[in-house]
Amino acid sequence: MDAIDSVVDPLREFAKDSVRLVKRCHKPDRKEFSKVALRTAIGFVVMGFVGFFVKLIFIPINNIIVGSG
Amino acid sequence: MAGGFRVLHLVRPFLAFLPEVQSADRKIPFREKVIYTVISLFIFLVCSQLPLYGIHSTTGADPFYWMRVILASNRGTVMELGITPIVTSGMVMQLLVGSKIIEVDNSVREDRALLNGAQKLLGILIAIGEAVAYVLSGMYGSVSQLGTGNAILIILQLFFAGIIVICLDELLQKGYGLGSGISLFIATNICENIIWKAFSPTTINSGRGAEFEGAVIALFHLLITRTDKVRALREAFYRQNLPNVTNLLATVLVFLIVIYFQGFRVVLPVRSKNARGQQGSYPIKLFYTSNMPIILHSALITNLYFISQLLYRRYSGNFLVNLLGKWKESEYSGHSVPVGGLAYYVTAPSSLADVLANPFHALFYVVFMLSACALFSKTWIEVSGSSAKDVAKQLKEQQMVMPGHRESNLQKELNRYIPTAAAFGGVCIGALTVLADFMGAIGSGTGILLAVTIIYQYFETFEKERATELGFFGF
Repeated sequence: MDAIDSVVDPLREFAKDSVRLVKRCHKPDRKEFSKVALRTAIGFVVMGFVGFFVKLIFIPINNIIVGSG
Repeated sequence: MAGGFRVLHLVRPFLAFLPEVQSADRKIPFREKVIYTVISLFIFLVCSQLPLYGIHSTTGADPFYWMRVILASNRGTVMELGITPIVTSGMVMQLLVGSKIIEVDNSVREDRALLNGAQKLLGILIAIGEAVAYVLSGMYGSVSQLGTGNAILIILQLFFAGIIVICLDELLQKGYGLGSGISLFIATNICENIIWKAFSPTTINSGRGAEFEGAVIALFHLLITRTDKVRALREAFYRQNLPNVTNLLATVLVFLIVIYFQGFRVVLPVRSKNARGQQGSYPIKLFYTSNMPIILHSALITNLYFISQLLYRRYSGNFLVNLLGKWKESEYSGHSVPVGGLAYYVTAPSSLADVLANPFHALFYVVFMLSACALFSKTWIEVSGSSAKDVAKQLKEQQMVMPGHRESNLQKELNRYIPTAAAFGGVCIGALTVLADFMGAIGSGTGILLAVTIIYQYFETFEKERATELGFFGF
């Protein structure tokens, strides 16, 4: 059982520390969450579509380049 | 150590030859920073679409398929290497400095310059090395097919692309832009990948005839063209081997979960010893090391895959090679998938059906992912200078104290939170990645986590910059 204890004890200690940490954490409320989610979503979509349109534009361009190559 | 040999000095002769972006000698207005950032992004995106000249084919198995999104790399284009050279050199330098193999005194200007030079030099060497490895390994057709001239041409193209990425990142880092180029390129590549899978207008022939690749486009197309609406809906939501609406919904869900956990933090009050006891706070986030565990984990897996596939291709009968990984061509997408060995067990099951078929695989994957992320996270705070000791030292240098604690107890107090936040944060990151992969989120759990954490950081930077610009802090 010593072998198991040497594995379980650190894990139990870690779990206890983690629980204490989470309890101590400030957690975002609904308003804060909504605000961050909206802004991150906007950033996500903007970045995504910038890449999307560059790719879209380059498909015909690449067909021309590769076709003539 | 005044007269001692220092590894960094080896770099000095090369400094003159390295391309360098001049430091910004004036305060760059916020709007100009945005412009520089956008221009850099466009240069990167265009390079990601330019085909390499001289390649014979890209139809061979792609050993990097799994990690391309995360490495901001695109097959068969000038940006084949993506940000790999710069990320790898950054990590290597960080590890060397953190483990004291290279001694750096950050208060010495020359040391910082030499360190930057060393990292850049290493990045360039890695770019050359990888370019050569790509060509010789037959990624673009065998060397005999390419011819020596074309082979050299390809290496040069990849090399110059590597230089461009290094310079773009340096441009942004040196105050001309917002944040780091690496993060920007990774995040954009991931977002683009997800949007593309949702809205792609390209068609792919499958057993059911031509289908649109994009999940949303396919949904509308199926609803419009099929007489049986219910079956059309079911197909749009659950079709195999192409992005479907369920994947999209899973992606959104993971996105929201990540944002929620981003907001978790322990706020420690700090006070300045001078400046009339100015009050402040030092937040310790649950995701203390942000996305670093995922990046390190991905780098590890990528190398495992690469080595395993190379060996398997040449010595597929060898027992040890099979133990490392067995591979076979996927019928649908033309890339190899691991079907046995260690490479298989560290790969996410591709569906819930896979999980049920081989529960040990799923269990091994979960345990490995969580453990690896926790260990990487804990290790990273030591080598990156963000451990409790390092933070305590920084706060002391800034003349900050924690109310109710003696100065000597500052480190002890930080030690109660930082190591746990790092390790547990790493576990949470790993768990979210596993969750995303099991649900079949587009872009992989790793990718979504990276993108969200990077965008989140960008908004923090954005707010800080704008606040400074508008004089809220009165500088």
